[in-house]
Amino acid sequence: MGSKPKKSEYKPSAAEKASAAVALAEHRYFKEKYDPLLQKMRDASKNDDSADVLRGRANADTMQTLAGGASYDRAVNAASGGSEAQAYQAQLAQADKAGLKIKNDMQLGVLGTARGQAADAQTGMAAAANMGASRVLTKAAAKQQVRAAKTAAAGQIGTSLIMQGAKNMQSGGEVKMQADGKTPMKDANGNVMRTEKGSFFTPRDDDGNKVQGFGNRLGYSDFFSTNPYN
Amino acid sequence: MSTTALPSVSDPDKVYADITRNEYLDYKKNYGEFEQELLDRAENDTTLIDEAKVNATGAQGLMSGIADRNADRYGVPLTPAQRQQQRRGLRRQNTLGYAQSVNDARIAQKELNQAVIGDLINIGQGVNRSSLGQLQGAAQGATQRKNAYDQARAASKAQTISTVGGLASAAIFAFAF
Repeated sequence: MGSKPKKSEYKPSAAEKASAAVALAEHRYFKEKYDPLLQKMRDASKNDDSADVLRGRANADTMQTLAGGASYDRAVNAASGGSEAQAYQAQLAQADKAGLKIKNDMQLGVLGTARGQAADAQTGMAAAANMGASRVLTKAAAKQQVRAAKTAAAGQIGTSLIMQGAKNMQSGGEVKMQADGKTPMKDANGNVMRTEKGSFFTPRDDDGNKVQGFGNRLGYSDFFSTNPYN
Repeated sequence: MSTTALPSVSDPDKVYADITRNEYLDYKKNYGEFEQELLDRAENDTTLIDEAKVNATGAQGLMSGIADRNADRYGVPLTPAQRQQQRRGLRRQNTLGYAQSVNDARIAQKELNQAVIGDLINIGQGVNRSSLGQLQGAAQGATQRKNAYDQARAASKAQTISTVGGLASAAIFAFAF
């Protein structure tokens, strides 16, 4: 029969310990170094000035074109400046659009990354929950196993007790013989005399004596008998 | 943090659960408001249209000044009537430019807002997928626990019945009822 299981035998291996330690260290490193970067990017995306830069460039481009095309004829032209105004507006609108797109992309990138991290966390949580559920089930199964074993043991003990008790009660009751060993003793009414019967807990031997004490009981039970026909 | 010393992990299960829970709480704290702002902006942003209106107003004054300076630079003797005509032309062109620019801005704004909404929906779908997966896992765990409990209860009942039956049977045989 094996001994009780030792908790120490179920400790994690050195590799498992190292793996967990490295993973925790990496996680802390990530939180320390990279998480602030993403938060900085989040703030930068809120205050992004790409649109201003692009507007400045659009303005400069437009003005350079206009300045390059300046002439006496154009100065004389009554409609001077009208088409340039349209071009200027169109250029700035393009710059605004490009600037807003940059800002949007930046913010979506930040959100997507942050959400990705949160999603990883959720996946991790689900895995942890699964592991927890598995452990709960294992524990419950183990408890149930112990409970069943206890019940079975109680049943065996009860059965043995009843069987032995019945056997004890059947013991004794032998016909008393006279000194010749052949003639049964009889009472005044002519009934054959018998030795007293055993009780549930105490058997009686062939002579009607109570079998008491550990040694006598062991000898009486034939528990250590090796005779296959007994 | 020291980069050489490794932390000791006595209960990886708990550490794992703590980290994942904190990651979610960190997200809500650091990016929850940011996400809400982006969602609101994707639906209500009008910056391009607003800028287009401002640009048109600015362009009117700017181009008028340029025309005046060019006239001075080249010594163009514009009569008041010519100057008035020039300004009227500039205003007309600018107004047309305003209309075009604002309309273009509306289209561009709609395009960009929809692109943001589309990207947000993609991100949201990923989150939703993860959440459903997580919920599925939780539901499976709950079902497994329930099944295991039912099985254990049935097994326990069977064991009890078997034990009682064994005892009764032993009693019947022993006492020859």
